[in-house]
Amino acid sequence: MLERSGIPEQAQIDCVFPAEERLEKGPVAVIECFEKIPCNPCAQSCPKSAILPFVDINDRPVIDDELCVGCNACIKKCPGLAIMVVEYSGEKALIKLPHEFKPLPEKGQIVNALNRAGEPVSDAEVVRVIAGKVSVVSIAVDRHLIKTVRGFSFKEKPEIPEKNMGNLELNNTNELDGIVCRCNDLTLGDIRKMISDGYTTIDELKQLARVGMGPCQGRSCIPIILGELSRYLETPIKDLLPTNFRPVVTSVKLSDLAEHDEERTSV
Amino acid sequence: MKNAADIVIIGGGISGVAIGYFLLKYGAKNVVILERDFLGAGATGKCGAGIRQQWGASINCIMTKFSCEFFENAAEELGCGDVDFHQGGYMLLISTEKELEQTKKNIVLQNSLGIESVLLSPQEAGEMVPLLDTSKILAATFHRKDGFLSPFKTTQAFAKAFERLGGTIYKATNVTGIDVTNGRVTAVKTDKGTISTNIVMNAAGGYAQQIAKMVDAKLPLYSERHNILVTEQLERTLSPMLMSFSLNLYMQQAPSGGFIMGRTCANQPRDLRVTADSNFPVEMARTVTNLLPKLGQLRMLRQWAGLYNMSPDKSPVYDEVPETKGFYVAAGYSGHGFMLAPATGQAMAEIILGLSPTLPWDKLGLSRFSSGNLIVEPSVV
Repeated sequence: MLERSGIPEQAQIDCVFPAEERLEKGPVAVIECFEKIPCNPCAQSCPKSAILPFVDINDRPVIDDELCVGCNACIKKCPGLAIMVVEYSGEKALIKLPHEFKPLPEKGQIVNALNRAGEPVSDAEVVRVIAGKVSVVSIAVDRHLIKTVRGFSFKEKPEIPEKNMGNLELNNTNELDGIVCRCNDLTLGDIRKMISDGYTTIDELKQLARVGMGPCQGRSCIPIILGELSRYLETPIKDLLPTNFRPVVTSVKLSDLAEHDEERTSV
Repeated sequence: MKNAADIVIIGGGISGVAIGYFLLKYGAKNVVILERDFLGAGATGKCGAGIRQQWGASINCIMTKFSCEFFENAAEELGCGDVDFHQGGYMLLISTEKELEQTKKNIVLQNSLGIESVLLSPQEAGEMVPLLDTSKILAATFHRKDGFLSPFKTTQAFAKAFERLGGTIYKATNVTGIDVTNGRVTAVKTDKGTISTNIVMNAAGGYAQQIAKMVDAKLPLYSERHNILVTEQLERTLSPMLMSFSLNLYMQQAPSGGFIMGRTCANQPRDLRVTADSNFPVEMARTVTNLLPKLGQLRMLRQWAGLYNMSPDKSPVYDEVPETKGFYVAAGYSGHGFMLAPATGQAMAEIILGLSPTLPWDKLGLSRFSSGNLIVEPSVV
């Protein structure tokens, strides 16, 4: 179950996957965004307006397969790396995946194709690498694995480049205006100001700025803020004071709670 | 870390930072606050943050009136930004004849002390709070100067003022022991080092009994879990804080729009646990939808819990522990530590520095529990 394991069920995958006829026609985006969180960069990223406009920022994206041309634009915009582009190519299926790790694989390299649980299911050939802040790596697998493959891993452990700071290269002024917490509209500048004022634990930032307290319960903001704290305090994230992590809220109506019957439920 | 201080305050909640501020304001020097986690990490950061002056015992009226007037001028006095004091008033809902009788007496007392509380008919209460099902109440009282403020911002404001006056705060510092020589405090030991001092101020809130044990003092206090929940945010429709003793609830609509509500539940642990009580949301939802049926459409977002540090008469304790010279305690607020904080600070500064009393703290000492001169407060949740 997605809420417990983080792995979507087949029925959920079927719901967001285009029909077989559409897959035969050419590349198309698949958005595996299963929870309502306040996040909408994908809706604004599509040059063809194939991702339908959101009424509410908490909406889940809906894609019009007939408008989508599989251009990869949305892949790079999704902070949750929930979007890929798939297409059939002869006997193979091409899976175009967002990738934020270094080093990047090389064209022609053979890697492990992974399913949604992270388990290797076959070999795959890297057919194209578009490097960027979010890179797009295309891998080729057998046709029947089109709905199975969702990632890749190296056959052998690659050499890690020195000073691997991930993708958090946020130093110029424009990036200070970048939104870190969408639930409460806080920018990177706001967060850095509070940290330099001496609020150097997640819990203090939660209390004063309400980060991590909104509908997403910290899924977007907390990892970024941990990175900021780690750099400011020159302390590895694992040694920072911990906070409580809570799952995405499933809010319940008070009237439903009031009608709760103890005898009916034993959970 | 400093190796000596004139006064060491244990606990960086609202009480600790307020006491620290008032001590420095009245001329103390070299005061240190030790906080195990971060400022406001305990009950302060979990509380409902209301302040009311509607009590049945004059001592509580006087103490909270002092606090309220302090909060009104906090920005100027503490030299801080806004502490978000929302003086939308406190409405106490009355649902039994006995309660109505007591309330009438309380209003006479409050008015005599300069607290302008008034009795409202159910209709008048309904006009002020249209969400209310007025058929559930006999009357209500209202005092327009009551309200609620941000516990986080208030704690930080006291802390900043304390530091500006020369005080030192050590966060993430755990007190591990207190040295006593010849019946007198001599040092506080922490996981970061030892500070020698002749005065220790126990402001540890829910953990006050444990700190007292370090000097072998047994305080007649216990800590009990109390639960709160918050709903999704709605356009502001509820201005006053609502409270009812007989219907067992208190609630406010926070500036963000979320409704924050709590009630006293049976069988709560007294072992310092603040884990979630799965029965609480159901009991709370029943209570609130009975009185404000329209709120049934609101969704609950989150629940949490904090510790009430309970005293035998549900009134605070401000005193020096008789057996140990230099060991002071301010605790036992029984759920009102946040609203009492300025009075706590003023009272403890007067006690420790030997100033002439401006607040009736002489009635709030430990000896009242053995002499039987308890504070009789009929109006607590």
